Amino acid sequence: MIRKSGIGLAAIALGLMAGTMSAKADFWSDAGAKYQGVVLHGVTESTPPSNYVKDVLAPEFEKRTGIKVEIETTSWDQMYDKAIKDMEAKTGIYDMVYIEQDIIYAYLARNFLVDISKSLKDDPSLKSPDFDEANFTTFANYFKNAEGNLFGIPMEAFIKVYLYRTDLFGDAKIQEAFKAATGKDLKPATTHEEYTQIAEFFTQYGKDNGLELWGTTAQAHTGHPASWYEFFESIAPTFGVYNWGIDANNNYAASVANGGQMNSDKSKTALKYWLHLRDIAPPESAASTWTEVGTTFAAGRVAQGLVYGENAAWIASDAEKSKVVGNVGVALPPTDPAVLEEVKSGTGYLGYYDGGAFGLPITSKNKEAALLFLQFIGQDSVQADWAVAAPRITNTATYDDPKVIDMDKKLNGYYSMLKNEGKLFAGAPPFPFHAQVREATAPIFYRILLGEIGPDEGLDQMAEAAEAELTNLGYRK
Amino acid sequence: MRSNTVGWLMLAPTIAILGIFGILPFIYVLYVAFHQWNPFGANPDMVYNGANNFRRLVFDGEFLFSIGVTIKFAFFAVLSEIALGYLLAQLFMREFPGRGLFRTIHTLPLIVAPIVVGSVWRLMTTPSIGIIPYFLKSWFGYDLNIGRDAGAAFTLTVLMDIWHWTPLVTLTLLAALLSLPKEPFEQAQIDGANRWQIFWHITLPMIRPAILATVFIRLMDALRTVDEVWMLTSGGPGAATRYVGLHIWKIVFPKTDYGYGAAISVIVLYLTLVMCWLLYVALVAPRQKKQEAE
Repeated sequence: MIRKSGIGLAAIALGLMAGTMSAKADFWSDAGAKYQGVVLHGVTESTPPSNYVKDVLAPEFEKRTGIKVEIETTSWDQMYDKAIKDMEAKTGIYDMVYIEQDIIYAYLARNFLVDISKSLKDDPSLKSPDFDEANFTTFANYFKNAEGNLFGIPMEAFIKVYLYRTDLFGDAKIQEAFKAATGKDLKPATTHEEYTQIAEFFTQYGKDNGLELWGTTAQAHTGHPASWYEFFESIAPTFGVYNWGIDANNNYAASVANGGQMNSDKSKTALKYWLHLRDIAPPESAASTWTEVGTTFAAGRVAQGLVYGENAAWIASDAEKSKVVGNVGVALPPTDPAVLEEVKSGTGYLGYYDGGAFGLPITSKNKEAALLFLQFIGQDSVQADWAVAAPRITNTATYDDPKVIDMDKKLNGYYSMLKNEGKLFAGAPPFPFHAQVREATAPIFYRILLGEIGPDEGLDQMAEAAEAELTNLGYRK
Repeated sequence: MRSNTVGWLMLAPTIAILGIFGILPFIYVLYVAFHQWNPFGANPDMVYNGANNFRRLVFDGEFLFSIGVTIKFAFFAVLSEIALGYLLAQLFMREFPGRGLFRTIHTLPLIVAPIVVGSVWRLMTTPSIGIIPYFLKSWFGYDLNIGRDAGAAFTLTVLMDIWHWTPLVTLTLLAALLSLPKEPFEQAQIDGANRWQIFWHITLPMIRPAILATVFIRLMDALRTVDEVWMLTSGGPGAATRYVGLHIWKIVFPKTDYGYGAAISVIVLYLTLVMCWLLYVALVAPRQKKQEAE
């Protein structure tokens, strides 16, 4: 009898467990049932991680929930243009918008976004058992407000790294020629002087040997803000000029005269260093944004360069697109030794930690369904394949996935660097006037690139223009 | 009375559409132009600031430069298109093998979206990979780099516009030429007029309305060009091709300076009207006066 009762209890327990498991397994279909016929619309930049969302995650979500998701991938400019217009005019076209880390402060200042943490707390029926904010890396902190509430689901996170050609750096003849020319061993640069020497050597080497080979990349477009970003977010910090040289704690001063750094001696030295590199980079550099820098490296036209991490995977592993598969090394950007000390002590950073999240506009007409999708792309379980397809890691557990560990080997340690050295990099400064100051100063920057004004005079003018714009915007008193 | 009512009723839909999509937005832009309004400013609300935006643009070097370079662009592009379009129209008046095929191919650029035209030209002109720099280097030893050479970038935007829009001019002038009566030309030939005299005294005056209409359309288009140039040069190098449409776009969208952008838009509309009026006065009014005198 006791035995029978025991069997009966076990059967009930098993039944309950199965029921619970089934409920958990069916969360997506159960949660999606209420939103049949809903079509979610998202807009994002056309990048490898976003294309993965469009091509893989959105169809998978639709299969699991029955909620259709249409993701519009477009150019960086258009993406912002469309998202801001939609949220500003409150038209409610988009249910998800890509929030690049540098724009989050402006969006939060305008209350454009839904508080995801609060929404899920307020309506627990929408909370997926597989979604947990604690699973994200610390990069998610960029998308939180002062109370620690999340306003965007991180979907892209990478650092701008120093890539170099292992085949060229490891070639005995080239090593010998480099030694003869410089008296040094050829190895990835750690300082600006070393980087310049290597760049000069390879540009000359290409010329002497009739090769389409140059010593460095340069994201130096003369009419697109990509060049402005390369200088202020990748080059200037390695000389000790942080946050574009604007001091938010000192009445948003940009000029040295008022306590800023935009036109400081360090900034001027950094610009001259970069302009020299631009001069010995491939000719297309003057028309290169971050995308073209990636393709230049993949085409085997440069020996080294600073490349956005989102491009590192395909450059290193996709033989259909890249000529340098298996020959890509990864290192930290070359830095002034004094700056490295500042970086290690936590008072500076040596490069750009970029990325973005999907946010939910407050104007969306399908907030609940969109919250489901955002949780879907934030789960640990979808991260590994996503990271392999596009080199981005937003969840801590992804680093330990076997697929990612395998990919890390192909990338010569890019993911390990992201995990271990990511703290040395930083996102854009927390300015709500990001695009406004950039656009106010970029025309002067382009004139410097064209040689119409000198770098010293140009940076002076830029600092003045930045302060004038900040005054006009009402931030600088 | 009845015919008037029917007339107004028939016009009503057009007037309503024009009012909703043309007049009302213009009034709104005019309203915004008198305000300081940047949604990412410390105060994101619209604040009335009188004529400050208009005062600001008078001293804005970037805006004045963009106006100057736009007029230069429009001058070279429209003049070239009219000349080339006329020559092609004359060519198509003649019988030659494959004329129909050539006419069709020649009009193909017209059906290509401006953004695509810009993309194609960008691919053709990108240093190192473009076909145009390749042949210029191979044949003439000339290094074309639109990222560095302001003159080359400007010239290429003009050439791109000519490539895209000359077929429109050709088609318009071809239609005008085909509609001309034969008698005056036969009469002139009998009287011994040479080709230049026939062109200057007969053809040109007779197709003048078609030329003027085409010039007005192309001039207004050229003054507001954006997409093609955005794709090809993004307004660079520097500000070399930052035509006024592109300048307004940069002020209004990335910079979100709505008030100032609206003021520039109003002034550019005014300038366009003035330019067209001046052109009309210069080319049409003297002839009308002459005809009235006769």
